[in-house]
Amino acid sequence: MKTIIYTCPYVPAEWIAAHGLHASRLLLDRADSSFSTARTEGVCPYVRSFIHAAMNDTEADGIIVTTVCDQMRRAFDLLVRRCDVPAFLMNVPNTWQSLASQRLYLDELKRLSLFLVRAGGQSPPDDVLVETMLQYDEARRSIRAARPYVSARRYAEVMAAFGMNGPSELPSDAKGSEPLSGGVPLAIIGGPLMRQDFELFDVVEQSGGRIVLDATETGERGMCAPFDRRRLQKEPLIELADAYFGSIPDASRRPNSELYMWLKHELSGRGVRGIIFRRFVWCDIWHAELRRLKDWTDLPVLDIDTAGDNDTDRHRTTNRIRAFLEMLQ
Amino acid sequence: MTETPKRITLGEWDRRYERLQRAGLSEPDYGGPLGRHVEDGDQRLLKLRYDNSTAALRLWNFLLTEEDRLHAARAAGNKIVGTMKDLGTIPVMAYSFDDVVAFYPDGAWWIPCVMELGAGLLDIADSLGIDESFCPVRAMLGAFVTEAHFPVPDILICSVGATCDDFSAIAQRLNGLGYPIFWWEIPHRRRPEPNETTVNLPGGFLAPKCQVEYVKSELERIQTVLEECAGLPLDEAKLSAGIKQANQVRRTLAELRFLAFTAEPCPIPVLEMLIAEMLAIHFCSDRRETIEVLNALLEEVKARVRAGTGILDAGAVKIFWINPVADLQVMNLLEDCGGRICGTEYLFSHALDEIPEDLPPLEALAQMALADPMVGSSTDRAERICSDISRFGAEAVLISRIPGASHCALEGQIIGEIIREKCDVPVLEIEIPPVTDSIRPTVRTRLEALVETVKARPRAQRKQRRNQ
Amino acid sequence: MIYAGIDAGSRAIKIVLMDADKLEIVGKGITDQGVEQDKLASELFDRVLKYGGVKRQDVATIVATGYGRNAVSFADTTITEITCHAVGVHHLVPEAMTVVDIGGQDSKLIRLDAFGRVRDFAMNDRCAAGTGRFLEVVAQRLDVELESLGSMAARCRHPAAISSMCVVFAETEIIGLLVSGTAREDIVAGVQAAIAKRIIAMAGRNVELPIIFTGGVAMITGMDAALETALGKSVTISPDPQMTGALGAAILASNRKLKT
Repeated sequence: MKTIIYTCPYVPAEWIAAHGLHASRLLLDRADSSFSTARTEGVCPYVRSFIHAAMNDTEADGIIVTTVCDQMRRAFDLLVRRCDVPAFLMNVPNTWQSLASQRLYLDELKRLSLFLVRAGGQSPPDDVLVETMLQYDEARRSIRAARPYVSARRYAEVMAAFGMNGPSELPSDAKGSEPLSGGVPLAIIGGPLMRQDFELFDVVEQSGGRIVLDATETGERGMCAPFDRRRLQKEPLIELADAYFGSIPDASRRPNSELYMWLKHELSGRGVRGIIFRRFVWCDIWHAELRRLKDWTDLPVLDIDTAGDNDTDRHRTTNRIRAFLEMLQ
Repeated sequence: MTETPKRITLGEWDRRYERLQRAGLSEPDYGGPLGRHVEDGDQRLLKLRYDNSTAALRLWNFLLTEEDRLHAARAAGNKIVGTMKDLGTIPVMAYSFDDVVAFYPDGAWWIPCVMELGAGLLDIADSLGIDESFCPVRAMLGAFVTEAHFPVPDILICSVGATCDDFSAIAQRLNGLGYPIFWWEIPHRRRPEPNETTVNLPGGFLAPKCQVEYVKSELERIQTVLEECAGLPLDEAKLSAGIKQANQVRRTLAELRFLAFTAEPCPIPVLEMLIAEMLAIHFCSDRRETIEVLNALLEEVKARVRAGTGILDAGAVKIFWINPVADLQVMNLLEDCGGRICGTEYLFSHALDEIPEDLPPLEALAQMALADPMVGSSTDRAERICSDISRFGAEAVLISRIPGASHCALEGQIIGEIIREKCDVPVLEIEIPPVTDSIRPTVRTRLEALVETVKARPRAQRKQRRNQ
Repeated sequence: MIYAGIDAGSRAIKIVLMDADKLEIVGKGITDQGVEQDKLASELFDRVLKYGGVKRQDVATIVATGYGRNAVSFADTTITEITCHAVGVHHLVPEAMTVVDIGGQDSKLIRLDAFGRVRDFAMNDRCAAGTGRFLEVVAQRLDVELESLGSMAARCRHPAAISSMCVVFAETEIIGLLVSGTAREDIVAGVQAAIAKRIIAMAGRNVELPIIFTGGVAMITGMDAALETALGKSVTISPDPQMTGALGAAILASNRKLKT
């Protein structure tokens, strides 16, 4: 089966899967791109790693990049010039409140379909799309239900596996019977995490905390809301568009007020006592939210920035988290 | 025409001004000696050098009195529209009303440089969490907080989507401080799919018709908002008239640019050309006067070309400049190092091309908005630049990186690569912070090296390129 | 009961011995940090004990803090320097609400509550441009002693604008400024201002008074004034600004002992 790789949560995996292709949402490794352009100062480490991954992926038959972030938009320009694998730039609107932007997103899904067909897929009839959507919806439901029973790291790994491989049976170690407790409840907020970033969850636990809300792009925040089952049956593509475009809040939205509404609800609902704000150096979209978040919430906020330099980051990050938990305890 | 065209200091200008006054200089009401702006805090002006024509004097006075005009407009009860990021489209609509003035608050990025960081705007941005890793547009935040520069607009209209992240983040921060913003979406301009109707945009780019229709629908929303703000309707006739006036500016500029970039010797400095081009974006808050100012400048340049005079020696290396700079002193430095301007792309080329007058006005404006070089791919942008390099006969290219601007990190290198492939000219990419005093030797070395590289090329090759 | 706090920083090791019953410092010392961190800390500890007339076995608990805290093998436990600085400053200046600590290689801003507990903090430990390292670079380039920078800055007329985000490139800038004839005093003042401006980004708009300045950089004259200008609020240098971390560690050592 041909594989389509992507990273953005606004790309509906079920749309790719319904075309008979394997949708693989990449969990990036922190890697320096062998392409010198990407090593320029000012390039976000995540984008740098994405370019490396896309250029070196021997199994991908197509790459989907979105316009959510300008650096990714420029990364697409690079891929088109340098990478043999066909790439598609999906225009995901930053504005979200107007019907026009919602229609634009839907139109982009239709245009994506043309790309997927060129990549070897088949335009799906509604019943195939419905079935695929139900599978994914059910998988997301199971994953969400597992959250109280697994460690934050395991939860992140399960979500990542779902993104990379699609719906499957939940691993046995993700089906607990007793909800976990203990530790100072924390939220982690920010853009996408990379594989090595999962160490953060361990450091938090070792320091006496527990991540109860993973509001990163690769975490719960990046999962779309459950489908409206009635609408799904009648107009599956529209329901798909609504669920993805309409329910995933992000800092890149304009305005991004829905992100704060979502955070308000989730932070209070889970009894969060502190926030870890995770961002990449040179990610302006999230960097700009740090101070605003600190002004908006009464909760203490810990800033953890990374330039993608693993070894230096580890000590810094551990030190900050330890200090943060000392403060909260 | 001015006697001997040359670049002079502010002190020399003030002395010249006295002589001109005695000789009966006629000026608009915003005229006066340039030195008075230094007293207002624009310290940087002391370090710049200026064209010595009265047309240039008018240009500078026009630029440096914009804040006065905005405050006067507020006092007179006119509506003030703050339009952000689109660089050239919305003001055409706004100025189609009689009592509406539009300007770009993002233009505040010049203030810290012109005031030599004395305005404290960047410190305010720092305190809001928008530090120097963001582009100098962050000065806008400080300008809104202090209200010491421009009056807070009656409405803020901001384009997002295919724009740069740091600007978008800064605008969102402004919104988060309590300034309501009317957001509109500009989609990433793409090549049409096989089953789509293609539209040839002004400037040579292509786009699918559906994207033009989309942008048009966004402009219709903006039209409604402007009408509510102005309290008056904006019909097609008014908008068409506004487009005609904007095109008058654009045509004058086109003629000016062609002469400035191709005449030998160089008839006008790069700094004055930068200011002149900037007038196209929002007419420096007075569209009628913009036309007068540009006409005067064009007349001066034409006279110099007829007389075969210029401000630089013949043979100055022709440099195509990409991306605007906050520190205007670097523009002087280019000429000090033996270069001259021969083409520019300051990220608003769509504000320089003529708006089609044979289309319904909103559709024409939608095409212009989509023709924004930032809205499409770096490759598209590079190809247009290559075309202009050939047209003007540039011998080298300078790409100035804007510190903190998210698009510059990758885009500059892609553009440089394409230019080297297609045009076989040397390309230099340098970062220019808002105040470059302390790195002046570094910048100078690089500019000189670029000039030397061109001069070292075989004479025949140079001649062929210059005469293209 | 005697308790010890060891602040194993990236540039210097500081030790404080505290008599918890009398709430008195009975010994303190400082030495340069090096490669054999444990050995250096141990040797300093022995010297401090000797001058204080205390034996090792009389020390009830040792808390290590700072960048190299995990290298201090003889410490009973480790606590981060953020917590320790907060406690140390609160002990010296009970009304302190904000602590600005600028060391050789990092800077921190710590907000305290009314009880001296850490309410919030922010750190710059990625970029040398907001740290004492920047001043060292300037001193080297100008061929002057670090201690003389303050008096030089006091004579400045117009601080130079330093634009680099990176201290490596800033060094090039300084050379450029010297070549262009900028007064050395103006350069020093410009560097001090650049360091202070880094703090604004960490501080945000609401900084509560009193602001207490600690760390080795607080001992350089003029830095407090530069901070005041940047923050727009008055700044007070902590008593014994280099030792607040070690002092806080010693106090926390006594709290831990009391708890056990």
